[in-house]
Amino acid sequence: MTRLSLIATTAAVLLSTTSLVQAQERGGVMTYGRYADSMFLDPVLNDANVDIWILSNMYDTLLLPTDDGQSVQAGLATDWNVSDDGLTVTLTMRDGIMFSDGTPITTEDVIWSLDRARNPDNGIWNFLLAAVSEVTAPDDKTIEIKLAQPDPAILPALSVFNAAIMPKAAFEAMPGETDLEKATAFAEKPVGSGPFVFDSWERGSTLKLVKNEHYWADGADGQKLPYLDGVTFEVIPDDATRILRVQSGELDGAELIPFARVKELQDDPNINMELFPSTRVADIIINVRPELDGEPNPLSDVKVRQAMNYAANKDAIIQVVTFGVGTPTSSFMSSTTPLHTGDGPVFPYDLEKAKQLMSESGYPDGFTASILTLAGNQDELGIATALQQMWSQIGITLEIQQVDNATRTEQYRNGTFDMRAGAWTNDIADPNQITSYFAYSPTIDALHSGWKSEEVDKLFEESQSELDTDKRAEQYARIQEVFNQEGPTVLLYETPYPVALQDNVKGFNQIPLGNNIFRETYLEKE
Amino acid sequence: MSMTAFLGRRLLQLVPTLIFILIVVFVLVRLLPGDPASAVLGDRALDADVERINRELGLDRSLPVQFVAFVKQVFTGNLGNSISMKIPVTQLIADRLPITMLLTFMAAVIAVVMAVPLAFVAALRRDRLEDSAIRGAFQVGLSMPVFYVGLILLTVFGAKLRWFPVGGYGDGFLDHLYHLFLPAVTLALSLSAILMRNLRSAIIGVVDAEYVTFARAKGLRANLILFRHILRNALISTLALFGLSIGTLLGGAVITETVFAVPGAGRLMVDSIYGRDYPVVQGLTIALAVLVSVTFLLTDILQAWLDPRVTK
Repeated sequence: MTRLSLIATTAAVLLSTTSLVQAQERGGVMTYGRYADSMFLDPVLNDANVDIWILSNMYDTLLLPTDDGQSVQAGLATDWNVSDDGLTVTLTMRDGIMFSDGTPITTEDVIWSLDRARNPDNGIWNFLLAAVSEVTAPDDKTIEIKLAQPDPAILPALSVFNAAIMPKAAFEAMPGETDLEKATAFAEKPVGSGPFVFDSWERGSTLKLVKNEHYWADGADGQKLPYLDGVTFEVIPDDATRILRVQSGELDGAELIPFARVKELQDDPNINMELFPSTRVADIIINVRPELDGEPNPLSDVKVRQAMNYAANKDAIIQVVTFGVGTPTSSFMSSTTPLHTGDGPVFPYDLEKAKQLMSESGYPDGFTASILTLAGNQDELGIATALQQMWSQIGITLEIQQVDNATRTEQYRNGTFDMRAGAWTNDIADPNQITSYFAYSPTIDALHSGWKSEEVDKLFEESQSELDTDKRAEQYARIQEVFNQEGPTVLLYETPYPVALQDNVKGFNQIPLGNNIFRETYLEKE
Repeated sequence: MSMTAFLGRRLLQLVPTLIFILIVVFVLVRLLPGDPASAVLGDRALDADVERINRELGLDRSLPVQFVAFVKQVFTGNLGNSISMKIPVTQLIADRLPITMLLTFMAAVIAVVMAVPLAFVAALRRDRLEDSAIRGAFQVGLSMPVFYVGLILLTVFGAKLRWFPVGGYGDGFLDHLYHLFLPAVTLALSLSAILMRNLRSAIIGVVDAEYVTFARAKGLRANLILFRHILRNALISTLALFGLSIGTLLGGAVITETVFAVPGAGRLMVDSIYGRDYPVVQGLTIALAVLVSVTFLLTDILQAWLDPRVTK
């Protein structure tokens, strides 16, 4: 397993050297426009992308995700090894590491942080470390993680935001009785060991980070990272205003550019319109329970679902909704997910085949069904409207119901919906999270669809402790084959993260998991 | 009835209003489908997490029990903690409501400054070119959607001419005023149109009134007639309308704050409703209700001062 770490390190070195063709320049504050503000800057207790995607700038983990989001590289730990039986992970701590307040990072901080992260009472991410049974420190340089059963995803799990190392003493000195109360106080002015330090926060408006003078990593110029003096996040919920601020030069970058505007910004000579590979997939989730509201459910017929998949013209939807930015999915998981299989759309558009399948199904004359979309979400409405037209050709009348998120989640969780538009982004560089939610029925009934495959459930359980990479890849290949063909979804497309940057912004990365990485970002002086 | 008795009566009327609001906001926010936990967790929500969070928030208790706890909290000045942001609601309101109040106040001032002189010109030059031009221009302002006007102002005066910042709130009081100018103008447009039209017809009504003809016959100076007789009497109905419009203005602030990226209470309210952040929705509604009630009270007092008949 040490070979794995060697490969990862080599890959990381190669990646970083190829991106460093020009000389880095130091200094300056980068202002970055976000669509929504962060809510709760605690690595363990947060529950939203607005927090997750920026946390790693403030909090460091033992291992870091690689730039392609597929693997891990050294973080606060320089070396790591998984024992042959897969039950022990041994990590060597980096020398001389400190929190941003100058206090040293000790093994005690690591043990406390990981114990807090895996505590089942804390937050919604503890499942990522569920295999861990004990964290100890044999000496002041070594961390030993004991697992109750082998976990092939334990290394990526140690690079996820919730496994961030926090200063135990500073946290426990916070006012309050419970962990939540202390975390609330701590997250108002967090202290971590990431490349940046929290400076100030005006909720709903600006969040300012400044350079962490104690950060461990070196830049290409041999001096400490980061290159920037700071990062300022500005909240600009309106898409048009956010773009206008980039165009007027008031922002150095802005996230979540609507697909409709990507082409225009690509043509703007002053703007670098980046499309970072992501793990984001868009699909339609179908309720496949045999009965809905006491009536037989046509969507429970696998032939009907396959007909719907064939009748959905993915390329047309990609043109209409993403203005050509997306690509058809070749599996339920994005092509950037490790162990993804497939090449080209699972169900290439074929109206004849769709009609054929419908006539063979239990509903040759078609039926009426509804789809839930998020009110105000143009992408979902576009998808639903396109499908309404496409499926009318195989006799399916689609009723579009626009609802708000909480309403939709309620119907979703109660299993009372017919269909809904869905989107997913991974939080870990492993296929296990998406598969657990999508295909493994005990988690949430396979996207609350009521779909269940004994074979998939069994394969997933086996894969969760399968250390043989080839065997695990086979298990995942079969899971994807079954789910893609018979599963409760209409597979649509995957899209990148559209980020508009000023031309002089270099070295910024949004990895496929969504994390905004400013650690090697610099502003070229004009 | 004296002014004091009038004031006392109006203040007493506030009590049942506020109690009613407490009940309505508590019930309404819970009638919305979905619960805070699943709204916050979204598609990733696991049953166990949703149950645990609802238990932590005390939402597994019966509604009457929750209501009593809520009322107790309100009367001790504690509005609870935000579910998504964890921090006290009072802190959130203290941070963000003043921004909306400043924005609304600026918009109200701009609306009055635009509406009053132009209403006079339009009324006194009734059916002439000036009148048609003023009414036409305000009609355009009234009929354009707020978010569209906002974007146009941002594009022209912000991005193109660079006279104003493209959204945001700035640092320091003067900078805040500078940042809030365009959003305030946007917000003021429709209100000023309504005020102008109302004031114009009120002035026309007063100009033709017998007491004005009498004042003219007495040979009073034109300015004196204009301010003491015409304006004072014409303002009475417009003032009532203005007071009522403050509530609408606060509502309009939601869209304006979004377009101009102003971190006010309007945006906080919308986000909290979507997030089913009960404590924030409740707290903000109460704060806004108090604010609107106080505005009504102030306009009532002003009206009473302008027109002593009101207190009778």
